[in-house]
Amino acid sequence: MTMSTAATTASETAVCWSCGTATADTTTFCAACGLVQPPGQSDHFARLAQPRSFDIDAAGLDRRYFELQRQLHPDRFARKTAREKAISQQQAAALNEAYETLKNPLRRARYLAQQRGVDLPGEGRTIDDPELLMEAMERREALAESTTVSAVQALESTAQEERAGLLQGLSAQFAANDKSGVRAAILRLAYLDKFTEEARARRFNLGASGQ
Amino acid sequence: MAYSEKLIDHYENPRNIGSLDKNAEDVGTGLVGAPACGDVMKLQIKVSADGLIEDAKFKTFGCGSAIASSSLVTEWVKGKTLDEAGTIKNTDIAKHLALPPVKIHCSVLAEDAIKAAIADYRAKTEKKTVEAEESAQAAE
Repeated sequence: MTMSTAATTASETAVCWSCGTATADTTTFCAACGLVQPPGQSDHFARLAQPRSFDIDAAGLDRRYFELQRQLHPDRFARKTAREKAISQQQAAALNEAYETLKNPLRRARYLAQQRGVDLPGEGRTIDDPELLMEAMERREALAESTTVSAVQALESTAQEERAGLLQGLSAQFAANDKSGVRAAILRLAYLDKFTEEARARRFNLGASGQ
Repeated sequence: MAYSEKLIDHYENPRNIGSLDKNAEDVGTGLVGAPACGDVMKLQIKVSADGLIEDAKFKTFGCGSAIASSSLVTEWVKGKTLDEAGTIKNTDIAKHLALPPVKIHCSVLAEDAIKAAIADYRAKTEKKTVEAEESAQAAE
């Protein structure tokens, strides 16, 4: 009996490749024979036993990730069959991908937005948002013109404040399923994160050159 | 990844970096960006009275391929008519610079930028014409 597609993704059934016992799609190890199972189709949230929400329990996410990572450690498979080794590596790769996606707010927002059917621009074609582009351009120009570490830090702290506000907004927009709001905030966050990355590099260069 | 000599040359010695007065009537500005990579690109053209692009400037914050693509476009459009400049295709840019497949989107952005600059210039001159007609009518 299916209630809703979102709720059933996590509990789709599979069959253990070794002993044939029915298992959930999210099962890492068969409950009957204990052998490692292929990653299956479960989404990143289900893989890490997190609710499909932008608000994430960071400590809980870490806990679940490190627990699974420990269980999938190559040392534990050193004396297992080639097939189990291969499957455990697929599991580990899927686990890392899920963790890195959910850990990072921009990646998590993009992933969740895609699940919700928000239309996000890919690479290539420009976005039609002159105001955002103008802000991004001005911010990068200001960074390029900064010649001291403290000037860069001032720009960084403004960006950090804006980022905190955006993340709060995203939480509310996802909760309200405000698709256009989510889309706009993700584009803005993408530029802010890129700026932050560039600012860090610039600050490092300025610091290293002794200015 | 090996980049072509032409690409490296445009990246290391970019042509026509800078800005034109975006409020000037003979200047068209295209501001484009792809948030997926956090790139932002500004391309400006200055159009002479006889409709030729007499100057072009760009400012790009992005990867080397994005910088090289916009640099190349400013070089190509100089001396061209707006219609000619509007026919520049991203595939020409990508081919000239031998962009690797993962960087094709940078040339797409540069094509968007020149198109946006042309559209901005045309919108400005149209507005000027409309305003002139309106004031002519008002004077009657």
